[in-house]
Amino acid sequence: MKSFAKSAITVVLDRLAEQTRTYVPMRDGVTSNFSPWSERRASDLALNSLNTTFSPKGIVFPQTERLYDFAVDGQRADISGTHAETGENILFGARACDRKAFAALDQVFLRRGYVDTNYKARRDGLTVIGRDCLQPGPFCFCDSMGVDPMGADGADVLLHETTEEFGWEPLTEKGQALTLRLNDLLTEKELIRPESAGCRLEVNVAGLPEKLRGMFDSPVWDELSTFCMNCGVCTYICPVCHCFDIQVMNNGSSGCRFRCWDSCMYPEYNLMAGGHNPREGKRDRFRNRFLHKLEFFQERYGSFGCSGCGRCLVTCPHSLNMVLVINRLGEVKVDAS
Amino acid sequence: MPPDCTCQNPLVPSIVKVVEIVDETYDIKNFYVATDQGIPFEVLPGQLCMVSLLPVGEGMFSVTWQAEDHLQFAIRRVGLLTDALHEIEIGQELGIRGPYGNGFPVRQCEGKNMLFIGGGIGLAPLRSFIKHCFRRRKRYGQIQVLYGARSVADLCFKQELSVEWPAQPETRIFTTIDRPEADWDGKVAFVPAYLEELAPDPENTVAVVCGPPIMITLALKSLQKLGFKDDQVITTLEGRMKCGIGKCGRCNIGSEYICLDGPVFDLAHLRHLPPEW
Ligand code: FES
Repeated sequence: MKSFAKSAITVVLDRLAEQTRTYVPMRDGVTSNFSPWSERRASDLALNSLNTTFSPKGIVFPQTERLYDFAVDGQRADISGTHAETGENILFGARACDRKAFAALDQVFLRRGYVDTNYKARRDGLTVIGRDCLQPGPFCFCDSMGVDPMGADGADVLLHETTEEFGWEPLTEKGQALTLRLNDLLTEKELIRPESAGCRLEVNVAGLPEKLRGMFDSPVWDELSTFCMNCGVCTYICPVCHCFDIQVMNNGSSGCRFRCWDSCMYPEYNLMAGGHNPREGKRDRFRNRFLHKLEFFQERYGSFGCSGCGRCLVTCPHSLNMVLVINRLGEVKVDAS
Repeated sequence: MPPDCTCQNPLVPSIVKVVEIVDETYDIKNFYVATDQGIPFEVLPGQLCMVSLLPVGEGMFSVTWQAEDHLQFAIRRVGLLTDALHEIEIGQELGIRGPYGNGFPVRQCEGKNMLFIGGGIGLAPLRSFIKHCFRRRKRYGQIQVLYGARSVADLCFKQELSVEWPAQPETRIFTTIDRPEADWDGKVAFVPAYLEELAPDPENTVAVVCGPPIMITLALKSLQKLGFKDDQVITTLEGRMKCGIGKCGRCNIGSEYICLDGPVFDLAHLRHLPPEW
């Protein structure tokens, strides 16, 4: 298999970034994120961070994104400059959980009647270099969510990690193209691929979507949501959460319309002009978020809206995370009648 | 549902001009919009469009009438955007994108007696279907419209309700207001109560309900009492919407999106979904 020495990582990243913006896990103060590679920050490389604080979803679905510009003059109005970014990007070191999340976002943005133009442009321009996940972290539970930490799904190239090397396995045409670019940096070697230690954390989701169909009115939602502050951080760090708002920036005679991440945890999310709010209480919003991930997403797209990346376990100030919720929902006895 | 099409950015509107504004009530105006070529796109009765006053914002409105050369949207003044819309004048250019959603099952209803039940501004989407029936009068059986508003001043489309529609063959219009008023000699009752009193025959009839959520809930109960089966009752729902294309996540009821799978649902279907509307 083609490979390069771990010690040569910055050379490889330099080569990739020469032509194409390359997102790499980097330390950023107390957090870690996928950021564009630049040599000056080589010491901030955080290839082993489990997991990065933010997922790489922002590369294909930016937190804030301009949709179009407008100009007004008296009663006249004009629309110009639609902003679908068509450039190429590389995502380096994406683990199976985040690649699974991309597959879920693809379902939302590319299927079911409409194709989201901006998302598609970014997604088409993205080459994903995945990596084996040999030592899932203490909060990881991806294998319970049907994700193989060593799997190749969603990767154009898969990096196989050994003690000294990264094996380089191109899997798609996009991957082959990168291989050509790196050819003189790669050597042919016999690599023994270690096994993944697997996730220490487990949840049982067998039959859960079906069970949840009968649990909409369960008092467990009041209990679980008691300490939720509706802060919304779970929705920002979640690699699958895809809700967005569309807002206007108005400079008088011109402006733009942009979209930005939104959170179903906020009371304004469903508040209609006129004051009606179908999910008025925090119990309602909490329930909708978890049912969406564990039941509705499954019904609509055939997979869970959670890839087991564990970020919400780290970030929720009250530990009302996916694992706690799945475990508690599993305990509840539902009356079969 | 449209095919997965990448031809045009579905979140970017095109421009239309307001060609007429009709004051329906003190807080409802009916806006007629068109391009120089006529309608911006084909809209089915009950479908939705995202209408924007560009510097202010955009909002989802159901079509009130899809005329040959323009579209109508009856809009009540309830917030920031609608306040601003109520200030504009003929000639104003607006953004429009759509059409969104499934619309009413106008074909499946052919050959049936139609019972339209509306409350307040809820008559606006129903009107797109009612007028559609009158255009093709022979294809539908008896038509009954039961419409209620809080007061006389809140009744919209008065001319049609009192003159034009009652003159149609085999058509009966029932109008009611919530509380007695000095110069009103018509009915005073809430819509669901009046419905039970009129007791329309469910035989070969489809009931179409639209109004405030509480009215819908009660009217659905009354229809059930009167013997209407779940698949004979359809309603059109509202929700806060941003994208209109099932992506922004906002308008879900269970695993369905009002903007994409709705806004029209039959009661049989609605019963499988959480009551979050
Ligand atoms: S309005 Fe965005 S999903 Fe319906």
